[in-house]
Amino acid sequence: MTQKEESFEPKIIAFCCNWCSYAGADLAGSMRLKYPPNVLPIRVMCSGRISPHFVMKAFQKGADGVLVTGCHYGDCHYMKGNYITMRRVTILKDLLKFVGVEPKRLRAEWIAGSEGDKFARVAHEFTDEIRNLGPSPLRG
Amino acid sequence: MEKFKKYIKELFESGEIEGFLGIRKNGLHPVPHLFTPEHPEELETLTIPDVRYPMTEILLTIVRKYPDKKLGIMVRGCDERALNELVKNQKILPELIKHIGIACSADLAASCRCAQPYPEEIHYGEKVAPVEDRSDIEAIDTMPQEERFDYWMSEFSKCIKCYGCRNICSMCFCDQCTLEDNDLIATGQAPPAIPIFHLIRAFHMAGRCIDCGLCEEACPAHIPLRTLYRKVRESMSGFLGYVSGTEGGEKDPLEFLGSEGYMVPSKIDEK
Amino acid sequence: MEYRTVLTTCTYCGTGCGLLLEVMDGEVVGVLPAKTHPINEGKLCIKGWNAHEFIYADGRLTKPLVRKGDTLEEASWDEALETIANKFAEIKKTNGPDSLGCFSSAKCTNEENYLLQKIFRAAIGTNNVDHCARL
Repeated sequence: MTQKEESFEPKIIAFCCNWCSYAGADLAGSMRLKYPPNVLPIRVMCSGRISPHFVMKAFQKGADGVLVTGCHYGDCHYMKGNYITMRRVTILKDLLKFVGVEPKRLRAEWIAGSEGDKFARVAHEFTDEIRNLGPSPLRG
Repeated sequence: MEKFKKYIKELFESGEIEGFLGIRKNGLHPVPHLFTPEHPEELETLTIPDVRYPMTEILLTIVRKYPDKKLGIMVRGCDERALNELVKNQKILPELIKHIGIACSADLAASCRCAQPYPEEIHYGEKVAPVEDRSDIEAIDTMPQEERFDYWMSEFSKCIKCYGCRNICSMCFCDQCTLEDNDLIATGQAPPAIPIFHLIRAFHMAGRCIDCGLCEEACPAHIPLRTLYRKVRESMSGFLGYVSGTEGGEKDPLEFLGSEGYMVPSKIDEK
Repeated sequence: MEYRTVLTTCTYCGTGCGLLLEVMDGEVVGVLPAKTHPINEGKLCIKGWNAHEFIYADGRLTKPLVRKGDTLEEASWDEALETIANKFAEIKKTNGPDSLGCFSSAKCTNEENYLLQKIFRAAIGTNNVDHCARL
């Protein structure tokens, strides 16, 4: 590993839905589970509220990775919000790939309010993955 | 052509339509025009050139003011696809809009690389073979990732933020545009934030783009926008099985959560 | 119900792009680029796309305004031109012709631009002539 790669600490924006994932992140805290400080959660009412524009804006403002989290299928407080999230993320990943940005920089996960451990695990995994990928070409 | 003019005149006389949106000769220039039964003599200037204007966009302008009028519209293959989407999005009432079909010439079909250069019913012209050409997408797919990124960034950096691609687009009928949201797109900056400005527009074209190519024709910077939109169109059909512009049936799964609301993408390929 | 297009030239700069003003029932509602125009070939910049917006703008000047004291008041063309002529003559007399200058506009025709520089060079006697399209 070169000096530069070692010193790289990714910045990760996590969009969390109010009803499941943010509660999951909260629970991770209550359980005293450690997760990387690189992950910065932003609470939204539903993962379906996350416009692709928000995701792209996060990248533009210097995020190296964006994590979109919502309720499991069938658990959405607004019935179908997370289905539309998954469709959007799929199309957006394909588009990112087409313009030469690693699609892995965008990740969607379903995290329930009781899954504090999952939130911490995903945060670890994703941070490691982005650290390996290096800084985002969209930075700046 | 005389037969075609006579046909429009008959539609006027029978009262089947109260206006016909077509193209008129203005000196050397063909320009869009609404022909009406009050001025049948204007039909003399009616022409069908190898020039495309955003007819459905103009139709929407008229329909917004006259929602109850029965209108005829000159449609090519692309216009018909646009009308199908407008019906699904409840922007026009299909029973009030009569399609008057024009088959494109072989020249026009070739220059548009059009996969369907004719509407369902043809009133003028002869059907020519569709052009199947995805060499533009393949050329980019075969580039290494970094080269691809540099290619698009250099293309996007030419943008002068004229909004021409959006203005001319038949599928851009929203009342509010996210590209005009001052919190998300900084004002007074050209090129706009790249590549996000273009990627956001590309994303919004998924499930909408009917692949007419007017955006690319209108781009003063010659950015290969159509390639980008064709790609999202392909992603839509690949992952969600939706092809924009088809008549009736299913609606855009990115915008409508109907009975198919619980469908998830078929596969996610990350390689 | 009337919709027609009027082929005209963009008034914003010296390039001279062809555009179509969309006219609905006598009111200009939009702009389309002229596809067959030899200058712009169906393309426009953001100014051209919005070239119709000033037509009905509240702030549009439709009559000359002459400053009287602290306020601008509507005046006839005769009055306005007379004021301009008198002030120009006065300034030229007290401070010399080079204390005057002019900016012409891309919104004018070639001939109007020619006449403006002519009046400044020949009648007033200065070379302080400039134009917004000389960017």
